[in-house]
Amino acid sequence: MEDSSAYIESGILELYVLGQLSAPEMLEVERRAAASPEIRQELEAIEIALERYALENAVEPSPNLFEALEAKLSPVHQTSFKIQPPAPVALSQRSNRPLQYALAACIALLVVSGIALINAHSRLNQAEEQIIALRTEKDRYASGMNVLKQTNAELQTVADMVDDPNWAIVPLGGTKTSPASKMMVYWNRKSQDVMLDKSRMKLPEHDQAHQYQLWAIVAGKPVDLGVFDMKTDSAQLLLRMKEVGKAEAFAVTLEKRGGSVNPTMENMVVFAGVSI
Amino acid sequence: MTTPAKIKLSEEALVEALSRRDIIAMRALYDMYGAALLGVILRITQHTELAEDLLQETFLKIWNASDKYDATKGRLFTWMMNIARNLAIDKLRSKDFKNEGKNQDIENNVAVIDNQKKQIINIELLGLRDLVSGLKPELASVLEMVYYNGFTHVEAAEALNLPLGTVKTRIRLAIIELRKQFN
Repeated sequence: MEDSSAYIESGILELYVLGQLSAPEMLEVERRAAASPEIRQELEAIEIALERYALENAVEPSPNLFEALEAKLSPVHQTSFKIQPPAPVALSQRSNRPLQYALAACIALLVVSGIALINAHSRLNQAEEQIIALRTEKDRYASGMNVLKQTNAELQTVADMVDDPNWAIVPLGGTKTSPASKMMVYWNRKSQDVMLDKSRMKLPEHDQAHQYQLWAIVAGKPVDLGVFDMKTDSAQLLLRMKEVGKAEAFAVTLEKRGGSVNPTMENMVVFAGVSI
Repeated sequence: MTTPAKIKLSEEALVEALSRRDIIAMRALYDMYGAALLGVILRITQHTELAEDLLQETFLKIWNASDKYDATKGRLFTWMMNIARNLAIDKLRSKDFKNEGKNQDIENNVAVIDNQKKQIINIELLGLRDLVSGLKPELASVLEMVYYNGFTHVEAAEALNLPLGTVKTRIRLAIIELRKQFN
């Protein structure tokens, strides 16, 4: 007991009651108190002194303060002593749990909408790509359609030529230089139109530096009717050349790109006289 | 609204009801100790409205932390009083309170320890019957510092320029004095 009274005298029990000790010090006090009734008694006396001291210095709170407080409490049980029906007030402890659920739900919703948004965004991008692809395709069809229309119109023109006596169909044959070459020239004596039928054109390939030039022989002299390429990107069937009113013959020579003033006779690939 | 009669329960019944989270425990605790706790808080904060807010906070904390109370480690009131004191002292030291300017400068106030002046203010403000003032000044000042001003006993020893052992002894003697006065 010697030990206990020295411990009591040290003043550590007062510090314990005043909440002045560290956790290990508190454990030590609690350990000693559990072992010594003397220490327990002393502790209780200190506690009661401070308790009574506080009670002596009590200050009555405002009326209805408890009602305000009660609204913030979350009763789990209530005895038959009914004090006040629990008010469902937002700030209460009770609302904490639903609030947590609500928060969790919000977060979940946020995540879901985030995913949905990303999803929608990527699908939108896909849709845009598809639209662009479809538009490109549509344009291609439209241009294809135009080509077909044009081709059709040209075929119609060719077909009409047969019925129109003004149109002369002049097949040009290969020369010594190029025996395999052949070509078709449509010439309207009345309207002076001259057209080449590309579908029935068979001339040797030429490089970029050269072009074929169509000539009409008028009164024994060559007259330039324009240049053309063997290969053209356009699907055009008929090539409209310069107009000529009279012609004894048609000839095609290979000339430098842009054409020449006079035909280079040794480069003549096709020729045909026109029967009058 | 009719004020129901004040409820009193034995400490065992209180603890038991509190552990069941029965609201009657709160009513009883409030009726029995609310005013005592408010006295402690008011003594620390010197501000009635704030003190009542803190009293509510104290009871909320008691309610929410009731499972932390261990009857083998001390009386229920001691536990509650330490909750109240800590909340009040934390509030005084908190930034938002200082910013409110309600407390000019608690640190300075405390450091100066114009004990007499402080007690006069307390009595004027609160009309308290202050038992500490009945103590010898050297005992009262130490108890005042650790009980109301949030000093640790180590800090109090430094502020008063006293050995730690002396401070501990003075706290003990002050409380012994209080014990005598109640007996």
